[in-house]
Amino acid sequence: MSISEGFSMGNQESGRDLAGFFEHRFGATPDVLDSVMNLAAGSHIDFADLYFEHTVSETMSLEEGIVKKAGSHISQGVGARIISGEKTGFALTEEIDPKMLHLTMATAREIALHGGNGTVRTPVGKMGRTHALYPVTKEGLVLATDVRRGLLAEADRTARAYDHRVKQVMVSLATEVKTILTVREDGQLSTDLRPLYRFNITVIAQSETNRQTGSYGFGGRVPFSDIPDLERIRQGAREAARQAIVNLDARDCPSGTMAVVLGPGWPGILLHEAVGHGLEGDFNRKGTSAFSGRIGEKVASSLCTVIDDGTIPVRRGSLNVDDEGTPTSRTVLIEKGILRGYLQDRHNAHLMGMKVTGNGRRESYAHVPMPRMTNTSMLGGDSDPKEILGSLDRGIYAVNFGGGQVDITSGKFVFSTSEAYYVEKGKILYPVRGATLIGSGPEVLTKVSMVGSDMSLDSGVGTCGKDGQSVPVGVGLPTIMVEELTVGGTA
Amino acid sequence: MSEDAVEKIAQGEDILAFVLSEARRLGATDADALYVTSDDYSISVRKGDVEKVNRSMSRGMGIRVFRGESQAIVSTSDLNRDSLSELVREAVRLAGETAPDPHSGLPDPEDLELQRPLPDLFLEDDGRDAPSSKLRVELALSCEKAALSYDRRIASSEGAEFQSSRMTRQMGNTRGFLGGISRTNYALSVTSIAKEGDSMERDYWYDQRPFFRDLESPESIGTESSRRAILRLNPKRPKTGNARILFDPENARSLVGHLLSAMSGHSLYRDATYLKGREGSKVASANLTLTEDPFLPGGFGSRPFDGEGVRVTRREILSRGILNGFLFDSYSARKTGHKTTGNAVRSLGDSPVVGTSNVIVTPGGADRAELLKQMGDGILVTELIGFGVNTVTGDYSRGAFGYEVRGGEIMGPLSEFTIAGTLDSLFSGIIGIGSDVSMRSSIVCPSILVEGLRVSGI
Repeated sequence: MSISEGFSMGNQESGRDLAGFFEHRFGATPDVLDSVMNLAAGSHIDFADLYFEHTVSETMSLEEGIVKKAGSHISQGVGARIISGEKTGFALTEEIDPKMLHLTMATAREIALHGGNGTVRTPVGKMGRTHALYPVTKEGLVLATDVRRGLLAEADRTARAYDHRVKQVMVSLATEVKTILTVREDGQLSTDLRPLYRFNITVIAQSETNRQTGSYGFGGRVPFSDIPDLERIRQGAREAARQAIVNLDARDCPSGTMAVVLGPGWPGILLHEAVGHGLEGDFNRKGTSAFSGRIGEKVASSLCTVIDDGTIPVRRGSLNVDDEGTPTSRTVLIEKGILRGYLQDRHNAHLMGMKVTGNGRRESYAHVPMPRMTNTSMLGGDSDPKEILGSLDRGIYAVNFGGGQVDITSGKFVFSTSEAYYVEKGKILYPVRGATLIGSGPEVLTKVSMVGSDMSLDSGVGTCGKDGQSVPVGVGLPTIMVEELTVGGTA
Repeated sequence: MSEDAVEKIAQGEDILAFVLSEARRLGATDADALYVTSDDYSISVRKGDVEKVNRSMSRGMGIRVFRGESQAIVSTSDLNRDSLSELVREAVRLAGETAPDPHSGLPDPEDLELQRPLPDLFLEDDGRDAPSSKLRVELALSCEKAALSYDRRIASSEGAEFQSSRMTRQMGNTRGFLGGISRTNYALSVTSIAKEGDSMERDYWYDQRPFFRDLESPESIGTESSRRAILRLNPKRPKTGNARILFDPENARSLVGHLLSAMSGHSLYRDATYLKGREGSKVASANLTLTEDPFLPGGFGSRPFDGEGVRVTRREILSRGILNGFLFDSYSARKTGHKTTGNAVRSLGDSPVVGTSNVIVTPGGADRAELLKQMGDGILVTELIGFGVNTVTGDYSRGAFGYEVRGGEIMGPLSEFTIAGTLDSLFSGIIGIGSDVSMRSSIVCPSILVEGLRVSGI
């Protein structure tokens, strides 16, 4: 997968088409938008926006060998926001017509009584810059129900055929098409048509009374006609079954502080928890992050360069524009161990006197944007992954994880293994039961002593939660050696 | 009930009647539908000034349709009648695409809660009591002020927030069930940041109640938040080894949650719970007794019927460590040859899953000081983080924060450690239950003292 830094100025026409979708559906003509945005004009207002959203999601799930459930869900509404200094007013409506748009913006405005430097309103009309990271035609975003059913069945058959100890297979496919329009106080209109799919397989294997789980998922922002890739689906199903079977032999995980080798890909949630959240602009503006005020300081070993990149084509965490109409970008967070930058939305960038980075994201029209990650990863290094594992004297080799969490202020973070092995003198001895690893965000990367050449992004399954809002994200990591991490086992 | 709520309920009944009759007209054999509205208003302050005001009125409809033994679920926030019709048509089409499942379907008619009027569970105010915008701001400001002025080491706050919500939830099905509940909630919270030298720690405190008049004072919430944050400064790491752990009520509650999730009938039919086959036997220490009470006045989980419209009852689900049975909705009950226990939980976009209303842990006789004395040496845990709990395998491993306890006395703060064990060893290792019940959640729980868990630190 290549990393693209260039902007494309294209899609002006399709951008207009998408704006036309909201005009046709909700009467959001340029005149109406202009008059609503006029309510957001004034000497006290720094930023204002309207966020139109129309999302259709389709889900299907299989268990016990049959497709038991199918669903279709529509979510639509408009969020109105006004920012004055450090103050934010927000309101939403799901009844979308010109009268309700005015009322909603007027409600959001009530807060903006004083403060702020003010802006001059520009008439609505200019289309914002955007990338072209995923397909833009609505026609490419249809996948017939019987095709979906066939894919779920294929995953079920493959997982069951993997081993006779596979007892339960649960498969789901979810697709989503989100159409958005943002209208800003500076007159800029931005639109985006965001496809997203996720295919998931969970396996329960049983041997006598020993039950274990294995899980694998993949997805991204691709044309839905690309989803029926049978080889990909079979590989995913075998991977889920393999994990469950491996775990049948798991023994108690050791406890205490020890060296840990993390495998490539999804173990990148280490970066997401240990440094990513702590580098989001809002916490740093308020001085509540363990990384506050530390730009230019050494926070990682010189082997570590960590980036957040929202511009990688078709990735789950990528966006053509963020939810404030800013094109996403590639932001260097840590360069050879030195802290370089924060992730910003418009509000926090403005208050901190920094550049916007295209990280202003929101779960939906019903939520207020915040600085959020996109795809967060560490650049590959020089070490051969085999040598990294070979040099582990005594510790854990962790290749798959469930979720993680961080306390931004103290910097303490956790992530929990779902496939890990006990290693002595470079040799894998046995799989270990699920354990939580705990460390300190500002310290853990200083203990990275080897970085592999096998950087890979995860398969497209991450969902990040912050302040009650969920957004899709990606992570990536090469194989790395962390000299010290606390392993929460029972032995 | 406020006039506004009365109007919303009438609207909801119209919408439910409309989509249910459309489902029938378009070919569904059965259907059940849910209509939910919420009116949320939150004001947050930081550094003595208003920072964020959020006003959200939201509503949505979800319908599950059956064609014989096949089902599909659709939901929407677009309540235009034509759009609703179109969506119900799509649901009926989708239901033709899923496989027949002989255990699916609406609850058996004799299980439905058809008694009217439904009991008043004291979940909603009449709106006359609700605080003005000005008062909300004042409460949040006083709360933050109390937090900031508590100690010179309180460097800042992440702000104080006053939130209120008013929600209605109505359900109907094609077999004559129609019912609804309304709920109000008022919450005040603050997060304090304590700083000393290189050590920076945060903690928070909150209260939430269905009635505004019952809310704790802003001063006591602010003071408690900062007291907790200060105590956390300059933590050490514990030594790796086995230790007694005292979970405070806010965290003990999560343990009960894990046990309840392992008791789900859905996990049972999937062979996805470590409790499978252990009905009627001991799954926890005799110190633990759990009662589900759907009728608890003002309870956060109170409900006069479940997520399928099924009758609910107050009952002991775990008696002195003995598992009385699993928790079922109609589907998992039919799958496993049981009767529904009224534990269906329904959300707009999904068919029912299993969950509980209010679960009450029978308190013990010991207050916090007595429990600490009983523990002797160990760790008092006041925060847990991470997702390292697997109710299929029964493995438990989470990040924690707390305090070292020696000879029953609280010593300094501890951080960056994990506690681990199996859920079995955890529940059978319960050696004490406190009398210090926290009422802030649908799981009504005091402190819980456990022995035999593994602490991983230095």
